[in-house]
Amino acid sequence: SAMAGNANTSNLLMVSGERLTGESVRHQNVVAAASIANIVKTSLGPVGLDKMLVDDVGDVTITNDGATILKLLEVEHPAAKILVELAQLQDEEVGDGTTSVVLVAAELLKNAEELMSLKIHPTTIISGYRLACREAVKFINERLVISVDDLARDNIVNAAKTSMSSKIIGCDAELFAAMAVDAAMAVRVADGKGGHRYPIKAVNVLKAHGGSTRDSVLINGYALNCTVGSVQMPKRITNAKIACLDFSLQKSKMKLGVQLVIETPEQLELMRARESDLTKERVQKIMASGANVILTTGSIDDLCMKYFVEAGAMAVRRCKKIDLKRIAKATGGQFVVSMTNLEGEESFDASLLGQAECVAQERISDDELIVIRGPKARSAASIVLRGANDFYCDEMERSVHDALCVVKRVLEGRQLVPGGGAVEVALNIYLENYATSLASREQMAIAEFARALLCVPKQLAVNAAQDSTELLAQLRARHNASQVKKDCAAYKWFGLDLQEGKVRDNKEAGVLEPAVSKIKSLKFATEAAITILRIDDQIKLTPEAPPSHGGH
Amino acid sequence: MSGGTPVIVLNQNTKREQGRKVQLTNIQSAKTVADVIRTCLGPQAMLKMLMDPMGGIVMTNDGNAILREITVQHPAAKSMIEIARTQDEEVGDGTTSVIILAGEILAVSTAFLEQSIHPTIIITAYRQALEDMLEMASSRYSVDVDTNDTDKMHELIRTCLGTRVHTQWNQVACRIALDAVRTVHKERGSDGQAQEIDIKRYARIEKIPGGSIEDSCVLDGIMINKDVVHPQMRRRIANPRIVLLDCDLEYKKGESQTNVEIRQEEDFTRLLQLEEEYIKTVCQAVLAVKPDLVITEKGVSDLAQHYLVKAGVSVLRRLRRTDQWRVARAIGATICRNPKACTIVLRGPSKDILNEMDRSLNDALNVARNIVLKPKLCPGGGAFEMAIAHAVSEKGKALTTVHQGPYRALAAALEVIPRTLIQNCGANVIRTLTALRAKHAGTEPEDWMWGVDGETGKLRHMKADGIWEPLSVKNQVLKTATETAILLLRIDDIVSGTKKGGVEGAAAAAKAAANEAAQPAAGGDE
Repeated sequence: SAMAGNANTSNLLMVSGERLTGESVRHQNVVAAASIANIVKTSLGPVGLDKMLVDDVGDVTITNDGATILKLLEVEHPAAKILVELAQLQDEEVGDGTTSVVLVAAELLKNAEELMSLKIHPTTIISGYRLACREAVKFINERLVISVDDLARDNIVNAAKTSMSSKIIGCDAELFAAMAVDAAMAVRVADGKGGHRYPIKAVNVLKAHGGSTRDSVLINGYALNCTVGSVQMPKRITNAKIACLDFSLQKSKMKLGVQLVIETPEQLELMRARESDLTKERVQKIMASGANVILTTGSIDDLCMKYFVEAGAMAVRRCKKIDLKRIAKATGGQFVVSMTNLEGEESFDASLLGQAECVAQERISDDELIVIRGPKARSAASIVLRGANDFYCDEMERSVHDALCVVKRVLEGRQLVPGGGAVEVALNIYLENYATSLASREQMAIAEFARALLCVPKQLAVNAAQDSTELLAQLRARHNASQVKKDCAAYKWFGLDLQEGKVRDNKEAGVLEPAVSKIKSLKFATEAAITILRIDDQIKLTPEAPPSHGGH
Repeated sequence: MSGGTPVIVLNQNTKREQGRKVQLTNIQSAKTVADVIRTCLGPQAMLKMLMDPMGGIVMTNDGNAILREITVQHPAAKSMIEIARTQDEEVGDGTTSVIILAGEILAVSTAFLEQSIHPTIIITAYRQALEDMLEMASSRYSVDVDTNDTDKMHELIRTCLGTRVHTQWNQVACRIALDAVRTVHKERGSDGQAQEIDIKRYARIEKIPGGSIEDSCVLDGIMINKDVVHPQMRRRIANPRIVLLDCDLEYKKGESQTNVEIRQEEDFTRLLQLEEEYIKTVCQAVLAVKPDLVITEKGVSDLAQHYLVKAGVSVLRRLRRTDQWRVARAIGATICRNPKACTIVLRGPSKDILNEMDRSLNDALNVARNIVLKPKLCPGGGAFEMAIAHAVSEKGKALTTVHQGPYRALAAALEVIPRTLIQNCGANVIRTLTALRAKHAGTEPEDWMWGVDGETGKLRHMKADGIWEPLSVKNQVLKTATETAILLLRIDDIVSGTKKGGVEGAAAAAKAAANEAAQPAAGGDE
């Protein structure tokens, strides 16, 4: 009779559609969230495995990254979509921990449903969750962070390694972690307030299949996957003055539909001369400003190529726009979209040029690349990844990106927390005690929040095929001791060792994560859960039928 | 709870497979790919005849060429096919071995998966084994080679070509390959340029049907398959001065659309005159440098030809740009004495045979290049694999963790190469392989060089018989095969039909919408 109910409501709504209210919509949402978490949960942790995604055309993606998996899935349920967006948000904001954020959010919802079946109102649960989240963040900041003010390189490398441990390059984490840290250090810029920023976007990641994972290299400089326009050009220019252009250097021609009517044959000759002169003048202006490396997104025709060859300059055509923007930034130049100024005259000023110590075409691995070394404004780094095939390289790129994000967070936030479920268990103990101390309706919600956090260490243990109940019990006992007994404070660094199936001091073992990413993922997960919890009514309109079907 | 109502989360077109089943089907499909080309390994390799949908025929026993032609459905199989390409681009040889080895590594993993050993443990062990193998390969199981020893190099290239069709063509191909590679070899320059051997760009293969195979040769310079544009031009020029042009010797219209309105007859003649004058000035500019030969990438008009013939200059037109580069590099703007580029002329009775010769010559060129770039050799005939397998397996005995099993299994997987060699020549696999293992367990310093004679199936000492292969190929085979196995083993979930429904998805959605529209109406009637 659910069918009859649906038909009724749709009549009441005056439009054809479906309406779900109260318990049934809540239940549906929770089921949908749980099924999303189910999809990604086996990829969590150092022993998590990968997913192979095949699209309609048959293109294959192999990945371990929660955000990538969810992005490629065709999710239909609205509540499930919120979780997909959550993973996307985490990916943009933090860059790592996309799987765990989804897990926590789904678990929060599941526990909330249990509370609701006990007739506790959603608003109470929501305020309880909010309170719990706030307390948790406070607790992390006060008690769990390891400050890295001295910025010991080991700590940063360890954080990068933790991020990579679950990925395909986990076995070579040592190599790639060092590479990520070096790359992030290379692109460091001062933020003007005594600190530094690490714009990891400036790290260019290139992929080339062939060789082995360990043949991947870090290049000190910005590498462009292009070659010089003509073989006669110099392959190496020192003290480079770089012009980054966003237009083609071709014989100019009138736009569509314009016809020139000329009177005498001589004028024809004039017109042709003018056509080539226009571009020639442009080239001359660029060369006059002192440029000796010209990078453009467009093409350069043979004629212009000749001018550059004669001037001994290096010209590269068909560069990627994004690359040029970054190069312009790194070399202190400007990405020139047009040479026309406000008065409508064409000019090219020397101040538009970027500078670098050296620009050279080099053979790296098997490809010819243009490498810009020693840019003036800030340094740049490029990573060339090698792997067995393209799928492998793509997944490596995602993993390296995650690691770079982590390094950036660590360097900017300067705070670390122990990994391997340590934070979650510590919060679980703390929040449970906190809940007990609270004499209000929120108590139960906070206790459920605490319980939900355990899903992360539990899943880690399950993925590793270890006894999750036993490990969790041991871990909780340790953390409880650390919070109640003064002399056991060091137990708070304890987390899981998934290879051995034991608990251990993860601070000592070097399993570390940036604090900021833990805090953000906790906040995001709570917000997402709350958003879904607030829903008690769902109206799904039937898509309008095509006209031929209408009119009974 | 409302009970039975299903919650639709994913698009219903999505198919999902999970867990052990995925791992096993992945392995199965990888093995299937390996089985396709298993018979292409070794000197007794058989050719495959492939027919494409258009009815074109390719006959080859080159692993990569075969896999390129066949279409596969399973994503894991696609991954396998890609590695053949990687191998081909990287070192240009060993494509068959890499597929067979990757298939075998996955096959031996099945046992561990069935014992419920976690894939990450298997992977860690494989990676460790790979590192150890590479280390052993370069330190113990390879020998240095003198690239200047021409006879030795010929010998070497010949072993690699042992599996190709024309044995009489071997001699010729070796000579050609070595000559060509030496010609285009550029030493480490003073300006920091790495040493390079760019076969693709600077050594061109021209196929001319007719003649006999032995007539094939390396030209000391460039051959361009073009004739001079005008019959009166000179066809033989000693010590020529050459002008390379990237532009045409034709009158070119302006880029903008132009209409000329002519009122008087004189104006028309004037227009034509202008065009002629233009060509004349261009030709004069060219002639000013007193060339004997003009080569251009573009066209040459009749009038320009006329001027140039009069000046006694020969002209070649419409060359490919890559040819231009080769010419530029070969003549180096001075008189052609010590060329750095070359053309290889292949002769043979039919086009199909020429194509096959072309493919095998490419292999030979790659071998020559690999040896010159990295002058280290290892014994062929499965001896190298057997030696590494033996050593790794011994080393694995010292491991005390769970990793021991997979570690040694990877070593055992390497035996697939000698095993397939034996199989392909029809010898008794078990007997021969056991005998080979016994040889490798021996204590003599050169016992590790025993391998299988791929023609007779007998054991042979590879050093005594001079059968070698470049180490860089073997290294790449080990790396690629192991990493592919790792990639595939890590997968525990396949979701297909993801993203971008395309036309089909839209159609399905429209259909579903139509159904839904019909349903409430039906409900109302009740």
